[in-house]
Amino acid sequence: MHRLIYIEEDVADHPRTKAICERFPKATKVYCKYYGEVFNRKGQNFRLQKQQPALILARKHKKHVLNAPDGYGIGGRRNYYFSHMLNCVYDCRYCFLQGMYRSANYVIFVNYEDFQQSIIEAAQQYPDDESWFFSGYDCDSLAYEPVTDFTNQFLPTFAQLPNAHLELRTKSLQIRTLLKSEPINNCVVAYSFTPEEISKALEHGVPSVEKRIEAMIKLQQHGWRLGLRFDPMIYQEGFEEGYKNLFEQIFSRLSPDSIHSVSLGTLRTPKVFHQNMVNLYPEEKLFAGRFDESRGMITYQKELEEQMTNFCYDQLMQHIPQSLFFACTPPE
Amino acid sequence: MINIVTALQCEARPLIEHYKLRGNARHSAFRCYQNDEMQLIVSGIGKLAAATATTYLAASESGTTSSAWLNLGIAGHADKAIGKPLLAHKLIDSASEQQWFPGIVMPITCDSETLITVDKPEQAYRKEMMVDMEASGFYASASRFQSCELIHSLKVISDNQLYSSEQITEKSTSAIIHDNIATIDSIINPLLEISSQLNTIEQASPEMYDFIAHWHFTTYQQNELRHLLRRWHALSLTNKPSPHDFANHTTSKAALIAIKSFLDEQPISFNKEEAQ
Repeated sequence: MHRLIYIEEDVADHPRTKAICERFPKATKVYCKYYGEVFNRKGQNFRLQKQQPALILARKHKKHVLNAPDGYGIGGRRNYYFSHMLNCVYDCRYCFLQGMYRSANYVIFVNYEDFQQSIIEAAQQYPDDESWFFSGYDCDSLAYEPVTDFTNQFLPTFAQLPNAHLELRTKSLQIRTLLKSEPINNCVVAYSFTPEEISKALEHGVPSVEKRIEAMIKLQQHGWRLGLRFDPMIYQEGFEEGYKNLFEQIFSRLSPDSIHSVSLGTLRTPKVFHQNMVNLYPEEKLFAGRFDESRGMITYQKELEEQMTNFCYDQLMQHIPQSLFFACTPPE
Repeated sequence: MINIVTALQCEARPLIEHYKLRGNARHSAFRCYQNDEMQLIVSGIGKLAAATATTYLAASESGTTSSAWLNLGIAGHADKAIGKPLLAHKLIDSASEQQWFPGIVMPITCDSETLITVDKPEQAYRKEMMVDMEASGFYASASRFQSCELIHSLKVISDNQLYSSEQITEKSTSAIIHDNIATIDSIINPLLEISSQLNTIEQASPEMYDFIAHWHFTTYQQNELRHLLRRWHALSLTNKPSPHDFANHTTSKAALIAIKSFLDEQPISFNKEEAQ
């Protein structure tokens, strides 16, 4: 429940603004000229705001669709991401958002129609190529669904674009809309996982591994194609056992036919974001381990990265065909 | 710790009594009062006075403390009832049109409203806004020293379209502040809690001083040492950091390298049983 909703004056009368505000009848509305006045200003504490985030409703004026970062793809030639929302309802300690943004408030860009138009234009620019659109880069794609109505609004756009693919990346159980919708072949619902004990320690507010698997089973039974994202892999002593058990737990329950893709990624954070994260949570064990800096990114030691990637890859190959595997690692 | 800025002595008086604040004779530029967890300064009227008093109080503080800030006083409003407390969720400086948005992360027991600060008393009221003469100066200054979640302005409505500002007296001002002590308390207590929380997060490891006594660290090295000792504690190691364990290193640089090497070799486990 939000106490405050900041609203850009420009979108005060937007139907989606009104619909979202109706969900929070007790919230006080505070109007601003530009959402950055609230979200981007200096002198904010992300950690404190995370305790009681406010909601910000705004218009995204340009760059609705952006090129995805290197290594952020699952085989497509053209990879884009778009963010109808900034920040996440979950509080994962490894998440770069807490180092990137000054504010933990949730921003929802209510002008979905402009995002949809940009997606259509990007897909039509290369009609002979398959384009992938990732929606879970700056937020969890599904976690705020009851408020954003995101999938309900965006699935029809993709249903009419045969060469465009949508990835919904999530840790959420908010699958009601997907279960009510007719599955479309060019959408993948991709769930992120770390082993249970790591999830309990670092993924605050995230549903348990078991609950997420149950959600995936329901989606699978309904006909949705599924993705699995082990990105980032988190190191701990004896990580092998945790990941081995996790893979067994997942693949013993899911039907291989519905799995579209599986990806592995190493922990990598831009140095500035990492420093911000350490300053916010100096007592966090995750940040107390050994990290190396490489090309402005903070990563585990190269040998450790390779050890984890090789182990997890070998384990995954016992459960899936190689064709479903994608390494989410930026090129050297 | 919380710092309270009021414009008038009659606004401060109920707080001085309730929180048993003692006058601090060390300060001569402003009237200041304090107890163990609270400082109060009486700024005088106007945003310049409020900004000056806020800066004065901030400058007198220890640089390592994360204090909360509260501007407390009376304000006018077109149609809100006399004596109603309102927390500012947006502050506007009328002259410059500059705006601030305090981060309200604590539970509050009163409503909130926009607050506009004017340079001269105005007869006409603004629509859906409180009007005062200090808050923008206070906020502009306090936001130099603290993040927005810890800087707030709480106003009690003293005048409206039915009860003009000319009817306000020192006595009535003290009375409406006094009547709202419970609300004031409900703002101050969570702010104190958040301030304490931040101080715990930001404070250096207690062993820092043992290391500094043992080697001479430059300022840059002290930052590195602080970071390493935080890592040490985050790892929940059974042994506490002690300079004696690194006593064979004669220079601060060598000691830092040795501490880092030691920490890099420590196992990481998120498994609760193993970690304990």
